[in-house]
Amino acid sequence: MAKVFNWQLGREIDFPYEVERPEKQFAMIFDTNKCISCQTCTVACKTTWTQGRGQEYMFWNNVETKPYGYYPLGWDVNILDALGVQAMDGPVYQGKTLFDAAPTGEVILGYVPDDRDYAHPNIGEDDSTGTMPRGAYMTAPHMQWMFYLPRICNHCTYAACLGACPRQSIYKRREDGIVLLDQSRCRGYRECVKACPYKKVYFNTQTKVSEKCIGCYPAVEGGRQTQCTTSCIGKIRVQGFLGKPDKPDADNPLDYLVFIKKVALPLYPQFGLEPNTYYIPPVHVPPAYLRQMFGWGVERAIETYKRAHEDTKLLAAMTLFGATPEISHYFRVDGDSVVGYDAKQAEIVRVPLREPAVVRELYDIKHKVYRTNIT
Amino acid sequence: MTVRGLALVVVMLSAPPAPALAQPAITAVRVSGAGPIADPAARVWKDARPVKVAMLAQTVTLPNLAEPAVKELSVRAVHNGGWIAFLIEWTDATLSDRLLVDSFGDQVAVQLPVDVKAAPPSPMMGHVGGRVNIMQWRAALQHDIDKGAPSIKDLYPHAWTDVYPDEVLGATDARPYAGALGIENPVSRGVASPVLDQMAEGWGSMTVKPDQHALGKGEWKEGTWRVAITRPMVSDDVNAPRLVPATRTAVAFAVWEGGHREVGARKAWSPWIPLVIQAAPPKAGAR
Ligand code: SF4
Ligand code: SF4
Ligand code: SF4
Repeated sequence: MAKVFNWQLGREIDFPYEVERPEKQFAMIFDTNKCISCQTCTVACKTTWTQGRGQEYMFWNNVETKPYGYYPLGWDVNILDALGVQAMDGPVYQGKTLFDAAPTGEVILGYVPDDRDYAHPNIGEDDSTGTMPRGAYMTAPHMQWMFYLPRICNHCTYAACLGACPRQSIYKRREDGIVLLDQSRCRGYRECVKACPYKKVYFNTQTKVSEKCIGCYPAVEGGRQTQCTTSCIGKIRVQGFLGKPDKPDADNPLDYLVFIKKVALPLYPQFGLEPNTYYIPPVHVPPAYLRQMFGWGVERAIETYKRAHEDTKLLAAMTLFGATPEISHYFRVDGDSVVGYDAKQAEIVRVPLREPAVVRELYDIKHKVYRTNIT
Repeated sequence: MTVRGLALVVVMLSAPPAPALAQPAITAVRVSGAGPIADPAARVWKDARPVKVAMLAQTVTLPNLAEPAVKELSVRAVHNGGWIAFLIEWTDATLSDRLLVDSFGDQVAVQLPVDVKAAPPSPMMGHVGGRVNIMQWRAALQHDIDKGAPSIKDLYPHAWTDVYPDEVLGATDARPYAGALGIENPVSRGVASPVLDQMAEGWGSMTVKPDQHALGKGEWKEGTWRVAITRPMVSDDVNAPRLVPATRTAVAFAVWEGGHREVGARKAWSPWIPLVIQAAPPKAGAR
């Protein structure tokens, strides 16, 4: 085991390999407050990459309703249960990671899901924590709640799938940190399926080997965001690259949101993998639940998010979500607009920070009619 | 090379070339006939004495199982001057030949050093510079050959899909949608033999060879597997041993109980066992 630094946990962790951070890290940010669980992202990924035989129930992108939705069934509660209760306080995580908790003979604490766990991709969809009592009124956080959690492979810095593969069939690209599973090298041992706590590697019964999200690398290499990002109806996503956690670049929208404003948080950071998809937590959900899911920065992230309208630069970075199919490597506020730039600093998109509002009169004198739609 | 990779090499290089321990030698008995000996029910096996091979847990590399299910194999070996063959038998209460995410297949493998003149390399799949030939029989491949590869409908009778790419696209255009099959991963594509002919030079280096020479057949009956694995004694394959009558080499075995979720490094293995290749009988009339 090598010692590697996990910035999300503020400490070194044990990992089976010595690894250097990639030059830049593929990353995605989801604003959970805006997701409507339309599953357009899921379908976009499926129609692009997983239409083949043996991929029927393989969702590299899925959207589940928390707290009762999971794909595969119970993926997070199962591994949380196996890991046991851990202290979730920062800035240095004191609990065990899944690598720390590895049983004898294993690289990491994990489990192989049952085949039938994949049979219910939308279990728990739209189910809320409970019913509202008579006479209840709106409180924040909500008394009864649910929210949508879109998920892809996290292209982890310390990928468990990669660490557990005895054949080194899984590799992380130096140039962008995308984690790929070599389809010609895999022999279907399913060590990755067992090890990935996010259960984002799938076994294909027809090819007899495992498959996973490829981070839409052909698009990303061409400067375009992933299919699941560009198709997002709710414009809840942005995909780009993270730089080094100790040298954040305030002009990079992802560095700014993740490292500087800390408004977007990793999913189950306590597992220790340094996952690279980040979530703006839902503002209406009790923090105790969110803390377990996104770490100790949750209250602060929600506070920052709620005040985004007062913070032009933060608003600008968040306005880039869903604004362009291209990858914004840099951004800048220019008057009332945000401008996104590609890797060569060329302008790719310009979006007004506030949409102009036009209020039309209820009675149209010219046409002598009342308008029912007056927004 | 990664630190772990380096550590593995060091361990492998320092691993003793596995002396024969107390394990009695296996003699490949000269039998009559010609061609592959791939039938576990063939009469020739009566000529060979079964040797008990004690199986150990693989615990040197991760991941591993402290208690693999199969503790002992019974092995017979024969050759007919052109082909060498092994009949391997073991008890396994469950027939595991279906691959689902949570279902693993039964497997058994025969390992031979490629260089029969040198001291045998590390018994654990060889080491860099010390190549081994590993012939691995897989119950799932046997199933595909005997009964056809299970389709999605076979595995999930109520599955329904509107259309697959290969139904509307030409073969070439549909390939990218076929994953490992589209790029001919040897563990994915259909095979003519249930035995994969492979070479390795250390953990994680197992490679299915471009030319496949190994044949065989497995039968499961009343809780016992009987698997025959055979290969030509001499071939033009540089990653296979040249086996000559009246010489000695070594052989080792590995076995996986699919029902116990054994796969890859989670297996039982044996150290090298001396393998005696019996001389050809004197020609009739010769003095
Ligand atoms: S497309 Fe966007 S809004 Fe719709 S489910 Fe996916 S992430 Fe949510
Ligand atoms: S989320 Fe899972 S599959 Fe993706 S890189 Fe991390 S460990 Fe691997
Ligand atoms: S990044 Fe691409 S491959 Fe991965 S989930 Fe999104 S659409 Fe699918």
